[in-house]
Amino acid sequence: MNAGSIVETALREGRSKLLEHEAMRLMELYGIKVADYGFAESGREAREVADKIGYPVVVKVVSPDISHKTDVGGVVLGLKSGEEVERACEAITKNVRERQPGARLTGFLVQKMMPPGVEVIIGATRDQVFGPVIMFGLGGIFVEVLKDVTFRVAPVSYQDAIEMLGEIKASRILEGYRSQPPVDKEAIAGMIVSLSKLMEDNPYIISVDLNPVIAYSRGAVVVDARVIVSRASVVNR
Amino acid sequence: MLEFFFNPSSVAVVGATPKEGKVGRVILENFKNKFKGEIYPVNPHYQEILGLKAYASVQEIPGRVDLVVIATPARTVPGVLEDAGVKGVKGAIIISGGFRETGTQEGAMLEDEVKRVAARHGIRVIGPNCIGVLDNWSGVDTFFLPEDKMRRPPRGYVSVISQSGAFASALLDWMAHHGYGLSKAISFGNKIDVDEVELLNYLAEDPTTNVIFLYLEGVREGRGRDFIDTARKVSRVKPVVVYKAGKTKRGGIAAASHTAALAGDYTLYITVFKQSRLLEAVSFDEIMDLVKVLSTQPLMKGRRVYIVTDAGGVGVMLTDAIELNGLEVPETPADLKERLRSVLPPHCIVENPIDLTGDTDDQRFITVLNELLPRNDVDAVVVVALPQIPGLRGELFEYLVKAKVYGKPLLVVLIGGELALKYKKFLEENGIPVFESPERLARALSALYTYSRIRMQGGVS
Repeated sequence: MNAGSIVETALREGRSKLLEHEAMRLMELYGIKVADYGFAESGREAREVADKIGYPVVVKVVSPDISHKTDVGGVVLGLKSGEEVERACEAITKNVRERQPGARLTGFLVQKMMPPGVEVIIGATRDQVFGPVIMFGLGGIFVEVLKDVTFRVAPVSYQDAIEMLGEIKASRILEGYRSQPPVDKEAIAGMIVSLSKLMEDNPYIISVDLNPVIAYSRGAVVVDARVIVSRASVVNR
Repeated sequence: MLEFFFNPSSVAVVGATPKEGKVGRVILENFKNKFKGEIYPVNPHYQEILGLKAYASVQEIPGRVDLVVIATPARTVPGVLEDAGVKGVKGAIIISGGFRETGTQEGAMLEDEVKRVAARHGIRVIGPNCIGVLDNWSGVDTFFLPEDKMRRPPRGYVSVISQSGAFASALLDWMAHHGYGLSKAISFGNKIDVDEVELLNYLAEDPTTNVIFLYLEGVREGRGRDFIDTARKVSRVKPVVVYKAGKTKRGGIAAASHTAALAGDYTLYITVFKQSRLLEAVSFDEIMDLVKVLSTQPLMKGRRVYIVTDAGGVGVMLTDAIELNGLEVPETPADLKERLRSVLPPHCIVENPIDLTGDTDDQRFITVLNELLPRNDVDAVVVVALPQIPGLRGELFEYLVKAKVYGKPLLVVLIGGELALKYKKFLEENGIPVFESPERLARALSALYTYSRIRMQGGVS
């Protein structure tokens, strides 16, 4: 499936948010590295996917009706065996039934559990005046509380992206501190450029949050992707 | 492209009237007093207005008409425009209000009608609901505020684009009062056709514009990319200072994501200004501070600033302010120190900020500046000359005007009363910017450095 048909399918089905595995696939199509993942419709299938990916894994609910997965008990981390995966799927099903009764359950996203690193956020939104705008910041409190983020109107060049990394107030964290090695800035900048391209190519995507992206001394990996689509008229197509 | 708005060979003023205090009278008077081309008052109720032959319609005018200025009630405007279109007029400045800005359906429909008529005849439009164009070089002046209420600035090289007519008028009156020169001012109100993008393009090519000031409320939907591309291009040729009004958060747009929530309107504009290489003035004070430095000073080749002062304290304040704004107040190099020691009395401080102390006279300043200004490792000089000390008699200020030949940014701090103001006036009339506040000076100098870098980077993104 190409990017256009992923978006088209969602719109046709009346969804404004891409399903977890669709969002991951979309990122892959643009060369944006995501944590190894697979989609499963049942607990048993989830176990098979997990066996293939290798443990530990994370299981997340996939539903067109749920926008905040953790709030409804739809995410279980650190699963080390097939049994744990199956049990997690059962627990998620139960949680969702209780906390958001009407929600449809499409299935489960099984993802490789990524080791800790520096969490960053890369995002995009489509502005009525300026068109696609790309954002970069550090994850967690840096974005939530301090709003330490920086923006560029697309198209964002690699050079622009490298500049963005240096613009946030906490940019020193990317350089490595307290004996941590510096993170792979090229990898992050590459993702920023790819996201800019994605936004320019797909006019019906109105916003993207890659949050978190975990950055390491070599490479960076998207752990969660939220993609919102809409056919509503946006001038800057 | 927009030349006929600024340099028409003939203009028709529709709604011209001899009645005192009316918009149509002020505009006609403006043209009559300053404009050298043909002027045709249009008003069916008069044979003659202010000694000029009046016409019942634009079509009746015998000669060619380049520009019409329309100051008649909103409902008559489509008809007037039609009349002008048949006549073959190129541009219309529509002063009249009563269109979309009223928030009424009738107003919006009238505006759409105006757009349609203009498009059909290929007439370019500034406005409606605006005060239009003031060109100090050609004499086009549709600002309907009489001269005794709003003085016109002297002829100069700064041009102003303003979405708000009221702000433009106030700013121009203020510029006139302070003696700052103006080339052109344009206020485009509802912006149904000509907008800031086209005006920036036009002013970039205008030989009498050296600095552009843009007061911006918002760019039209879908026009953002053009705005960025144009502003970037123009900034390579001349500095554009921008002030964004409406900095607080935009309501109404449901934040679909984290990113959308964080990308507030003003945040986005800051990004856009940076990407467009525009120089943002964040306060009213800063607008003119930046404009006066950018319009008078040569480019700054590096960030090394030398301070020569007769007041140690102000020298230190200035050093802090300059360094906080990303520029450098370097230590005086050894060879220069030696030179200065050989020409200065032993109690003077040769370390930058160079302190000539309160017993200095004009000559001591001049001696030091003669050493500093020719050096390659000096990128800008700030002179703090508090005029209260007995030795300063004014020669220094005359010297500073001549010292412009060194081609380096040269700014002055003067703090005080009448005497300070007298010297300030003299210096500013001669192209040397004067500040009272070290912080404001530092901020403006830093903008000059930013702009110098933009220019030196040339086409590089």
